[in-house]
Amino acid sequence: MQKYILKRILYMLPVLLGVAFLVFAILALTPGDPGSIILGITAKQEDIAALNAQFGYDKPFLIRFFNYIRDLVLHFDLGTSYSRRQPVVNDIIARFPNTLRLALMSMALSAFIGVSLGILSAVRQYTTLDHVLVVVALVFASIPGFWLALMLLMFFSLHLKWLPSFGADTFKHFILPTVTVSLTSAAGLLRLTRASMLETVRQEYIRTARAKGAGEKVIIWRHALRNALIPVITTMGTSFGASLGGAIIAETVFAMPGMGTLLTTAIRQKDVPVVMGATLFLALLFSLVVLVVDILYAFIDPRIRAKYENGGRSRE
Amino acid sequence: MKKILAILLAACLVAGLSVSAFAAAPDLVIAVDADVDTLHFSDHSTTTEVNVLNQIYDPLIYMNPDGSEEPESRIAESWEISEDGLDYTFHIRQGIKFHDGSPLTAEDVAFSLEMYLVSEYQGAFVEGLDSVEVLDDYTVVCHLANPFSPFMLGLGSCYIASKAYHDASSPEEFASTPIGCGPYQFVNRVPGSNIELKAFEDYYGGAPAIKSVTFKVIPDSTTSAIALQTGEVDFAEIDSSNLVMLERNPAVTIALAPTSGFTFVSMNTEKEPFSNVAFRQAVNYAINREELIEICYDGKAEVNSNICAKTRFGYSDSQLQYTYDKEKAIALLAEAGIETPYDLGTILVAEKYQNIAVVLQEDLADIGLNTTIRTEEFNTYIKSLTSGNYDLCALEMTLEGDTQQLALAFTTDWIGMANNARYSDEQMDALFAAAAVETNVEKRAEIFNEIFTKAQNEAIYAVICNPEIIYACNANLKVPAFVLEGYYYVNQFSWA
Repeated sequence: MQKYILKRILYMLPVLLGVAFLVFAILALTPGDPGSIILGITAKQEDIAALNAQFGYDKPFLIRFFNYIRDLVLHFDLGTSYSRRQPVVNDIIARFPNTLRLALMSMALSAFIGVSLGILSAVRQYTTLDHVLVVVALVFASIPGFWLALMLLMFFSLHLKWLPSFGADTFKHFILPTVTVSLTSAAGLLRLTRASMLETVRQEYIRTARAKGAGEKVIIWRHALRNALIPVITTMGTSFGASLGGAIIAETVFAMPGMGTLLTTAIRQKDVPVVMGATLFLALLFSLVVLVVDILYAFIDPRIRAKYENGGRSRE
Repeated sequence: MKKILAILLAACLVAGLSVSAFAAAPDLVIAVDADVDTLHFSDHSTTTEVNVLNQIYDPLIYMNPDGSEEPESRIAESWEISEDGLDYTFHIRQGIKFHDGSPLTAEDVAFSLEMYLVSEYQGAFVEGLDSVEVLDDYTVVCHLANPFSPFMLGLGSCYIASKAYHDASSPEEFASTPIGCGPYQFVNRVPGSNIELKAFEDYYGGAPAIKSVTFKVIPDSTTSAIALQTGEVDFAEIDSSNLVMLERNPAVTIALAPTSGFTFVSMNTEKEPFSNVAFRQAVNYAINREELIEICYDGKAEVNSNICAKTRFGYSDSQLQYTYDKEKAIALLAEAGIETPYDLGTILVAEKYQNIAVVLQEDLADIGLNTTIRTEEFNTYIKSLTSGNYDLCALEMTLEGDTQQLALAFTTDWIGMANNARYSDEQMDALFAAAAVETNVEKRAEIFNEIFTKAQNEAIYAVICNPEIIYACNANLKVPAFVLEGYYYVNQFSWA
């Protein structure tokens, strides 16, 4: 198992280097240079050139890329933001906690709603409850996030005055963004859990369990759920990874400084060090989350655990 | 499995709860739509930065941005300008303290102006300045190489910072923890979220009425509009689209501020048929400006086909104004030798100007000119404009400061930058050069009159309007009437 994990972590290095090169190349291919974007069209050419030279943006693409990787590998230096002239690390430190908190809270809420209602829906297939849940899920899956966010704001902040309308200072500030993010993803999880459960309960081993006289609760919780959860956990893992990139809509509407808004602003300003730093940081986290999901499989499914252990041993 | 879920849920709750407690609420909360990138006094670049810096730093003198009034004293108590217009002597008010308690002297003034001289960001504010000389602790002379009449207006935007603090602090600290001598001092900043200021009790202009101010970053204008109504925000600039909602609420008042910024259609004069004056005039007459303002600005903009705002120095009603006149437009098209229907090419816009392009397209189609609209990402769009790779485009631009700044839109030197029409005319270049060195106010007004009369007669641009800034504030907050550009000074605010 340890060997497997170590191997997976080593695999991340080429992945991250590839990500770095791709993002750097895409940024270099888009029009505009940081100097003229910061100073605008009312600036003098020589000022723009001076600023670009300060940033090292006057050098060719490959040299800039090489310098970037060299500083990163040798000094763990993510560079200095063009627009803020402050270390990129500061930006990430200031914003990541909000993003992580929002991602964790919304994953917990959407997993709770999605998985439990998905099971309920599957167990009560073709009842009124099932139909209602499926329709509600469809509605929430199709609602645009920004609209939902604004409606929640209008209702809970403006009319009821229960919750603050913006910011990220207290737990209360996180409630509306969490609901915004989780309702849409909960709807997806509900549908997935339901479908996966329905498929599982048709398997031979469930019939066997029924035949041996196991109670309905045992069948659902011990036999069906564990097997049905594998695709659900995969989806949760990737969507958690994606929400680390920032629930951009929730961050914008609720004025919550997070990774999503950091990244979008930086892209618009062509702030290469910030875009690079934030993307690499997120790519690293995403790879780790995927790894954790793979390890979680082992806990849920003994067959997979056995495979990992065999894989480890065979290389000894 | 249940256990894992339970642990996860618990972890998330802890993550949610472990947040700092609320600090005491500030006296005034101002919403801004973007975070500041820096609080450096001379190397700043955005309007939000100016609005925050205006509270922390003071300039030598204050001038109404329309250039119409005499300068007011700030750090400089009095000043003299030499006969030849080359030496500006400033006498500095004694006893001014910086926020750290140290006294402000002529050295700080010289240092600050010299920082502007080498700044890539705001060097334009000291255009014309050659060197700064310190005569004694409270006297400073600015030497100009040539007479440059907009000098004082530019100086009004130059903040004075502490030389000792600059020398003692790291560049990062200096840019992020400003020390000025203005009415408010910096307390704290959370990047991406807020900036806290408190009243500077030793301010030479008197301690401000409002004791603490927090700027909160709220990117979405609708959220600001809601926060204004819940009382979480006291003052904010809002989008015209939220006006209806706010006007209905008696707890919120609306204040409009005029700007010199202009919305315009630029035609690439290097290309046919845009090089033809009659054709450009036709386009000017074809645009229904009132209707466009209603559709794109919810009526909150002043109709003006002149690039020079009506309150700005140099504007005169005698300069031609283009108004909607379809018949005249069609006649002018015939005069330009255009047979309609005519395929005019592409209207290039960035996404935020798309609705302007749609209205323009309709108006042009109405006189038989067919166009297609192409939308580009903002930076790509600007690149296309500056490289002359377009036929027609629509955008908003701001050329603040002295009317001289409008040279950027008309002179040959600025082709490839702010001269979007790529207009090049020797006479125009000469007129702007003359205006820069003319120190007599009446003569200068005459030169500008000549410039804008020429610009209007030749229909160099099709200017549409000067959009207004819409401020919404708590109905109990007393704010002074806004002057051109809508900059605000919180020490002039008070609670009813």
